[in-house]
Parts: sequence; C-alpha cells; structure tokens
Amino acid sequence: MLQEEREQGCIITFCSALDELLGGGVPLTKITEFCGAPGVGKTQMGMQLAIDVQIPSAFGGLGGEAVYIDTEGSFMVQRLEDMAKAAMEHCRHIATVENNREQLEAMANFTVEHILSRIHFYRVHDWVELVALVNILPEFLQQHPKVRLVVIDSIAFPFRHDFEDLSLRTRLLNGLAQNCIRLADSHKAAVVLVNQMTTKMGHSGDGQAHLVPALGESWGHASTIRVLLFWEAGCRYARLYKSPSREEATVPYQVTVAGIRDVCIPNNMQDLSTATKEEGDSLGEHSQRKRPRVS
Amino acid sequence: MSLRKLRRLGLEPELVDRLERHKKLSSCQDILEKIHLELLHLTNLTHSDVQKIVMTASRACAPTPTTALQMRQAGFSSGSTPFLSTSLPGLDQALHGGIPAGSVTEIAGPAGCGKTQFCIMLSVLATLPCEMGGLGGAVVYIDTESAFSAERLVEVAQGRCPQHFCSDDAFYKLTSQVYVHKTPTCTDLWNRLQCLEEELIEKRVRLVILDSVASVVRKEFDNSLRGNLSQRVKLLSKEAALLKYLAESLNIPVVVTNQITTRFNTSREGPHHDVLSGDLGAGNSAGASAAVDGGYVTAALGNTWSHSVNTRLIVQYLDDKYREVMVAKSPIAPFSSFVYTIQSSGIVLQDDETIRKWSERVATDPGLIPIKVRTMLGQGGGLVVP
Repeated sequence: MLQEEREQGCIITFCSALDELLGGGVPLTKITEFCGAPGVGKTQMGMQLAIDVQIPSAFGGLGGEAVYIDTEGSFMVQRLEDMAKAAMEHCRHIATVENNREQLEAMANFTVEHILSRIHFYRVHDWVELVALVNILPEFLQQHPKVRLVVIDSIAFPFRHDFEDLSLRTRLLNGLAQNCIRLADSHKAAVVLVNQMTTKMGHSGDGQAHLVPALGESWGHASTIRVLLFWEAGCRYARLYKSPSREEATVPYQVTVAGIRDVCIPNNMQDLSTATKEEGDSLGEHSQRKRPRVS
Repeated sequence: MSLRKLRRLGLEPELVDRLERHKKLSSCQDILEKIHLELLHLTNLTHSDVQKIVMTASRACAPTPTTALQMRQAGFSSGSTPFLSTSLPGLDQALHGGIPAGSVTEIAGPAGCGKTQFCIMLSVLATLPCEMGGLGGAVVYIDTESAFSAERLVEVAQGRCPQHFCSDDAFYKLTSQVYVHKTPTCTDLWNRLQCLEEELIEKRVRLVILDSVASVVRKEFDNSLRGNLSQRVKLLSKEAALLKYLAESLNIPVVVTNQITTRFNTSREGPHHDVLSGDLGAGNSAGASAAVDGGYVTAALGNTWSHSVNTRLIVQYLDDKYREVMVAKSPIAPFSSFVYTIQSSGIVLQDDETIRKWSERVATDPGLIPIKVRTMLGQGGGLVVP
C-alpha cells in the first residue's frame, strides 16, 4: 500500500500554495470537496482542475481527461477557453525556456482545441439525472480510460429544493458518496465535489448564525478532503480543514484571467499593476507572476 | 425524463406490470429513489436482475455528454448570439459581450437606483434586430411591483436608437413584442413561471425579465416566524431552478432584479461568522439608514439565493446624480464597476476623469460588498456610506 500511495499521482494546479496545502495537488482515488460562499471561485477551481489534469506528463502532469458535471449552469466555454489558452502558454513558456525536447513535443497535443476536446461535459437538471449519471459513469470511464478527474459542480444545488423528505435526501447523498468513492478508487481518478454554504442558526445562546457547508453534518463524512474557500480582507483564502494526511493550514490564492494562481508578495515598488482580472486580456505581455494591487 | 415510465425502457412487460400494480414503481424516479436492498425486497428478483433494472433506468435518465470543444463550436455555428449586448461599452467588455444567454443574471440595488430602468432598456435592446446588436425577438416582462411603464419604454427606445424608431410603425412593433405580466403574489408568480415555457416557444421570446423576485417573497414571508425562512428558501430555490431551466433550454438570457437588506456584522473573526440579522421588515429599501450598529447593506434574499444566480450586478448610489454598477459575481468577468446616470435614453455610462476616482475598487466577497443607499433626498447630500 505504501508503494501504491507513493506512486499515487496528483493533479497539480498552477498555484503552488494550493499544491503545498494539499500535499502535491488534488490527489487521485480520493474525494476532495471545495465549499465556499457564492462568488469565491468554486466553479473557477473546478474548471482550472479540468484543465490541469490534462497537463502532459513531460511537465509533471497526468496527461489525462476530465468529466465535468454541471448542475448549476455556471459553466461557460468562453471562460474555459481563456484558462486553457493561459495554461498552454504557461507550459510553452516553460518548454522554450528549458529547451526540453520532450516538452516541446508534448506541446503539439496541448493546444486549446485539444484541451477543450478532452473535457467531457454533462449538464444535469435535477437529482434524478445526477443519481442516474453517477450510476453509469463507471461504464463511461471504462470507455474513456484516460479520464482522471470527475468534477461535480455543484453537488448541493439539486438537493436543496424540492425535498420534503430529508431522510430520502440523506439516503440519496450517501448512495452518491459511495458511488463516487468506488469510482475514484477503481478508476484511479480524483473526484472533486463543489459544495455551497448554508446559514445555520447558532445554539450558543447568542442566536448568531454562521455559514457552514451545505447538505448537513452527515455529508461531512463523504469526502476525504475538505477545503473551505473564503474571503478575508479583500483576498481569497483556501483552508484545508479535513485531511487524513496533511495538517490544517490556510493559504491565499487569487483568480486571474489565466485562472487560479498564487498571490505574490508585493514589492515595495510603486507599481500598481494589478494581478486581478481587472487588467484585461494582454496575457502575453505580463509575466506569469503578476503582482497584486497595493492598496 | 425522470418521470419516464418503466414501460418504455424495454423491460419485460409482465415485470413492469407487476412492479406498477403491486409495488407502485412506475417511473424511473421511483426506481432510482430506492436503495438496492429495498429494491431486492420489493421486486423479489435476484441481485443482478435488480442491478440491470437500475442501470437501464439510469441510462435512460442520464444526460448525454458533449465535449467542451463541441460546445464552443456549437456556439459559433448556431445563429443565436451567446450574449445580449447592454449597449454600455465598458460593461459589455467586462462581461465578454454582455448579459450571457442561457443563465440567470441578477441586478440588485436600493430602490430608485435604476434596476427597472435597466430592465426597460434591455427590453428595448432585445427587440432590436440582430444586426443592430439585439436579439431580434420578443420579451416577457414579469412585473411584481407594477413598475413597468410603456411610456418609458417608448421614450427609451426613441432616445437610444432614434434612427430605428422613427416611425409609428416601429413603435408599434416594439410595444407589441414586449409581453408584460403582472404577478402581485407568490402564487401568481409561481403559476406564471410554470406555464411560461409554452409561451416562450410560441411567441419566440428571446429575453425574460422578472422584476422583482424579492418584493413578493418579502411581502408574504415573515422571517421572524419559525418555519417561514425555510419555506421561503425552498420557494426561491424552486424558482431559481425553473428560471435556469428556461434560460438553458431556450438559450436565452434571464434577468432578475433583487432588493437589498441590512446585515449586522458584530464579529469579524473569521469566515464562518457571518451574522444574519434577518430583513428589517418587508420593503426594506432606501429609507433605511445603513449605518446602524456597524451594519451594512447587501443584496437581499439570503445566501442560498446568492448561490442560485449565475451573474450578479449590483447598482448603488454615488451621489444624487451618479450611480454605479458593479459586476459582483460572474463566472466569466472580473470584478469591475462603472459609473452611470439615468437619462431619457436610459442608462448612460460616464467616463469622465473626475468620475474615475469612484471606480477604484478592490474585489471582495460579493456577499459583503457594502451598498450605498440614499437617505435624504435633495438637501445637499446625505449619502450614508456604511
């Protein structure tokens, strides 16, 4: 088992802080859950991972394919294209700088069209479709053995309305979780679930309400690894708060035109060039490491 | 699809009959709801037979896959545009083209800030032919506050595209293509939404506007009563799911407007401590002072609703004349803001240098963006900045 675990691949992201947090990247054969408030970047994370799983092995990636299951309708191909282009250019930059022949050859198969063609997209409208889809996914993965990532964005939406019977919901979620675990293990894929947040009234006597991950306490057992995405003081953070092998930690990250990236420590220069998406599309001019706005 | 009958799946007829008659299992949903053990018990079949039934039902219900590349190509080749241009150049650029089709966009803000004006302007733009940047189709405007004014529609049309709307004929065409439905209660609204699909197809509607989703809900659900909050959340989630379904299946933009509420922020310890005070009575809008006990004003209807919309634009006051629209949540656009005023031709973006100072804004949690409201009208100011 030790050997297997050592050989276990991870999906590297372009954000080194996040990779550190997760011990190399999003691990295969496990379920990783990303939860967070609206607008914090969960869908962006899902899309970024769908691209990152395809990074050719010459660059240290898995060279695999991805399945993206959308329950909310937030998936936009235009955004995916932007991120794919940035990923491709990042890799090309590395390949040319290091002048590595293997990497340069791998770039032939890592164009925007190739990247888009290797993301299998399902749009699911209600829980019945979701349950049905997860039932037949093993067949699909057998026909497409290169799939190394399944993203469900989000697992919460179909289960948050129209459920009078909470015990039915719990049963269904448990069934889904079991199927996902089995899928992840037998096909050596990573399953990434995106969860929403819900307001929970506190019991501590002060009547305060907190935001907690949706779908209830029992759902917390389903995923192996839980990452909470949140805002604080104008910056986005990721906190690892359930993991069997890594300790709890919090790292900053940001969402740029290129996708999910690290936040750089600002220099003392007057440079106000922002690193956020506000700066628009001239990806080629800016270097990959952009400096955040000094406010 | 989930209600598809087992009968049509190609299973043996006696089996289907038996299941239907004795065990009340007649649709795929019934099968997929049950866990394996339950099905074994109900059907008295072997494990592998039950497995086969479940898989057949699943295959029937699951959606078909496509690849991202095919989606992109479909977008290029289909005649319909993926965005409705708002004719505000800065906003269009930030949103990669305009209001996206196939998803739900929300405009939230204090009363009188311009949400209904925005909607009226979008209605005019949607009826324009495609060559002029419109969607060339009809508009369904669901009005819960009786705020829609046909006169204003005509005025905006005239101001926006004077060359196109120069004859009575053009005005007639415009007004006959905007279908206004008044739904003053929640039940009216829900009923209207449920039978909307046929209307959308029949009348070739290319834009749906719901103005506003918050007003009916806040009138009828009193948050302080126990149980009402969860009922409200359920209703909103159902509405959101239905709107999304309509948006996607017909590939049209759906625009929803929302009100604002006050949140009190007593502890800033960390991400988990987001205190919800509940709405300050129904109809909380510009009259409420926002600087109460360190509270701040944000979009109403709570956290679950915020998850349900795909794009959120927030409008707010800067001073008596200038307002600002911010892109607070979008899968495709970064955080950005634009200053505008409301004129006879609708919304007009300003980009004077002097106004640019108001546009310096750092991205932050869309749920916590403080929204400026107007307290005293006229009388030189009174803008409360939380």
